[in-house]
Amino acid sequence: MFLQTLVTGLSIGGIYALMAVGYSLVFSVLGFSNFAHGAVIMLGAYLGLALAVKLHLGIGLVLVGSIVGSGILAVMNERLAYSVLRRRKAPSLYLMISAMGCSVFLENLVYATIGSRFYAFPEFFSRQVVQFAGSSLSLLDLAAFIVAFLAILALHVFVTRTKTGIAIRAGVCDMTMCSLMGVNVDRLIMVVFLLAGAFAGVAGVFLGVKYLVYPTMGWVTNKAYIAAVIGGLGSLPGALVGGLILGVVETFVSTYVSSVMRDVFSFTLLIALLVWMPNGLFGSDTEEKV
Amino acid sequence: MAHLLEMENLTKDFGGIRAVDSLTCCVDEGSITGIIGPNGAGKTTVFNLITGVYRPTTGAILLEGASIVGDRPDVIVGKGVTRTFQNIRLFNRQTCLENVMTPLLQRTPCSLFSALLRTPHARRVDRTVRAKAMSLLVAMGIESYADAKASTLPYGLQRKLEIARALAAEPKLLLLDEPAAGMNPEETRSLADLIARVHADFNVSILLIEHHMDLVMNICSPVIVMNFGALLAVGRPDEVRADERVIGAYLGRKKRDGNKAAAPEGAEGEDRHAGARR
Amino acid sequence: MDYILSVVTLAAINMIAVLGLSIFTGFTGLFSFGHAAFVGVGAYASAILTYYYYVPFFIALVAGAFAAAAVSLIIGVPTLRAKLRSDYFAIAILGFGEAFRVILENLEITNGARGLPGIDSFTTLPIVLVALAFSVWITRNFLKSRYGVACIAIREDPVAAEMSGVGLFRTRLLSLVLSAFLCGLSGGLMAHFLSFIQPVMFTLVQSTQLLAAVIAGGMGSITGPLFASFLFIVLPEALRVANMWRLVAYGLMLVLIMIYRPQGIMGYQELPDLFRRKISRSGTK
Repeated sequence: MFLQTLVTGLSIGGIYALMAVGYSLVFSVLGFSNFAHGAVIMLGAYLGLALAVKLHLGIGLVLVGSIVGSGILAVMNERLAYSVLRRRKAPSLYLMISAMGCSVFLENLVYATIGSRFYAFPEFFSRQVVQFAGSSLSLLDLAAFIVAFLAILALHVFVTRTKTGIAIRAGVCDMTMCSLMGVNVDRLIMVVFLLAGAFAGVAGVFLGVKYLVYPTMGWVTNKAYIAAVIGGLGSLPGALVGGLILGVVETFVSTYVSSVMRDVFSFTLLIALLVWMPNGLFGSDTEEKV
Repeated sequence: MAHLLEMENLTKDFGGIRAVDSLTCCVDEGSITGIIGPNGAGKTTVFNLITGVYRPTTGAILLEGASIVGDRPDVIVGKGVTRTFQNIRLFNRQTCLENVMTPLLQRTPCSLFSALLRTPHARRVDRTVRAKAMSLLVAMGIESYADAKASTLPYGLQRKLEIARALAAEPKLLLLDEPAAGMNPEETRSLADLIARVHADFNVSILLIEHHMDLVMNICSPVIVMNFGALLAVGRPDEVRADERVIGAYLGRKKRDGNKAAAPEGAEGEDRHAGARR
Repeated sequence: MDYILSVVTLAAINMIAVLGLSIFTGFTGLFSFGHAAFVGVGAYASAILTYYYYVPFFIALVAGAFAAAAVSLIIGVPTLRAKLRSDYFAIAILGFGEAFRVILENLEITNGARGLPGIDSFTTLPIVLVALAFSVWITRNFLKSRYGVACIAIREDPVAAEMSGVGLFRTRLLSLVLSAFLCGLSGGLMAHFLSFIQPVMFTLVQSTQLLAAVIAGGMGSITGPLFASFLFIVLPEALRVANMWRLVAYGLMLVLIMIYRPQGIMGYQELPDLFRRKISRSGTK
């Protein structure tokens, strides 16, 4: 029982981590909580669904299509809704409100055009179950976990080893300085949103396959946001660890306490963390300067 | 003279950096005390420590013999210490009158119930505070701007408005953080006049940070010199100016760098001193 | 006629909640993605009182408002005391609102996610108008008093406000409690007007609508947000816009306002000022 709960928790945590990375990536560079990320994940899921149902593509191509589509969407999102604010050096709160506006806009646009129906992906993974140390794990969860882990690892390598990655990390430290040093900040931010969007695409497809596709499915990303806060907003390893911790703790709460209390617990945890540990486990100091 | 404010072994660390290093000094009642020192000497940090914005790492701050360490800034204001800011901080979208009324209102008791229902008592409070605020604007000579938004005032007048707002909190000790920053010699002279007048008329002790040496040398006594967060020297302006260590650490180097702020000093400054005190 | 009457009533009820949020956001400078929860507390508390306990309507209404004020302390005390970054605060209160909804959906007395049907419809337009007038009067008095002036000082510059003797924590908390009180009042009126309430009526979406009205109407203005919230309710009804398209418009509007006019349409001024100061206004900021 205990081990089974742990395994289930880890597999949920993997998806949380995949989504949390998008929040952390944007936060690390622009310093605001991009609530539109949830909507991009939702659109990524719809896109993947369309590719799978209408064009009968396999999981690989569906993922690629969703990654590309969501990446472009995220970049467009930044260009249209954030870039003006960013150049004006508006307070991060304004960016956050704009992001919230995007999220409400996109979610309801889907509602109004596609409708509130729930859609299911075709069965990519037969309901196979892997036995693992006395506990069972669905093939889907295992795949999600592995993909999440590999993607985050790849991102980590990209950020620490490549030239663009190093530029991103420099941008995290000081955006103005970065542009003075000859780094094209607009291009840098485009790459960041492209990456965040790509992760949204992967997360959207796995979320859609695991659960269903519907306009407010992005709501689950609130959990991912909490995961990012646990790990420390802006930290990539933090997003992974935060996602896993939240997944495991939530599963334990819903197994041993009550499933109703699970969400209340998560949100209380969010508030408590913001109050007592706003930098999370791995985050850097983000105090507002006097 | 009695000590109004005493700092004993005051130390403040930011991470590994020691911004203020076991500073011991005091402000006498009725004095205009100056603090000078090179950039980064920790002067503004001292102000932030006194006003409760930061909490000292170690050390004591006594106001009239009682410790104020750990008090919230607004409590310290209530005990009689207010300040102005290096980079002017006004309530920009409020009118000048409203700016000055804010601290006055905070000092005037009025229950929430009375405020919400705007009882006759609340109206009375409003009237008296408005009149008091107006008289402060008159004292600063900016009464014609009473209904103008604070942000629309010219720079020099914003400084005056900030001093008026600080005085509205009815302080015993007024901290001025570079009041003459960005002012030309003409404006600086009139500011020195104003500070001297405020000191006399409002019965307030003043502690001021300044880079305009002539201003400090003219109206301040004693002068505290800080360097790397520590006390370098303290004394009358002429004593401080003659101090070898001060010249080495501050005045001398500034002169070599050709820093404009430090340039007009000496004989010329003495004349202004006479002028400022009439 | 009945239809027009009900739309106007609903708009006026909504205006009271927007007024409440305006105190907190427009005048104190703190943003909230969770104020619909306070409307919900007022709605459920007053409805439960009249529905299960046959408490007289007016007492229930006032009790609902006080309940909302009390609940605001639960989230306000820890977060405001910790002096959170402004965006973290908005997120914390968002989390609070979502947690509140989950609790509503699982309590027996609230009848869970299905909601409470058959609440007596005591609310009439005259009652709402009196409540709105009372709210505006109280708000105006508050803003002129030491408490309101302290709120505005904090919005303009928290550090300078402290140096003017303003206690940050207690002033922000008072602002939150008063705004929650008005939201609670609005909720009580709403419950007894619609005679049916449900947890989904008090979620992030509604909080965003309230915030959109305040931001669009104008920061630091009473009349601006009131006007905006009236338009927000009446226009879609007049144009017969489906609810989801209304939300699409709210979202788009938030983005556009942040980009083009972050202070809102009536930013830092009141409607009557516009006519009075048309000539003398210079050097806008």
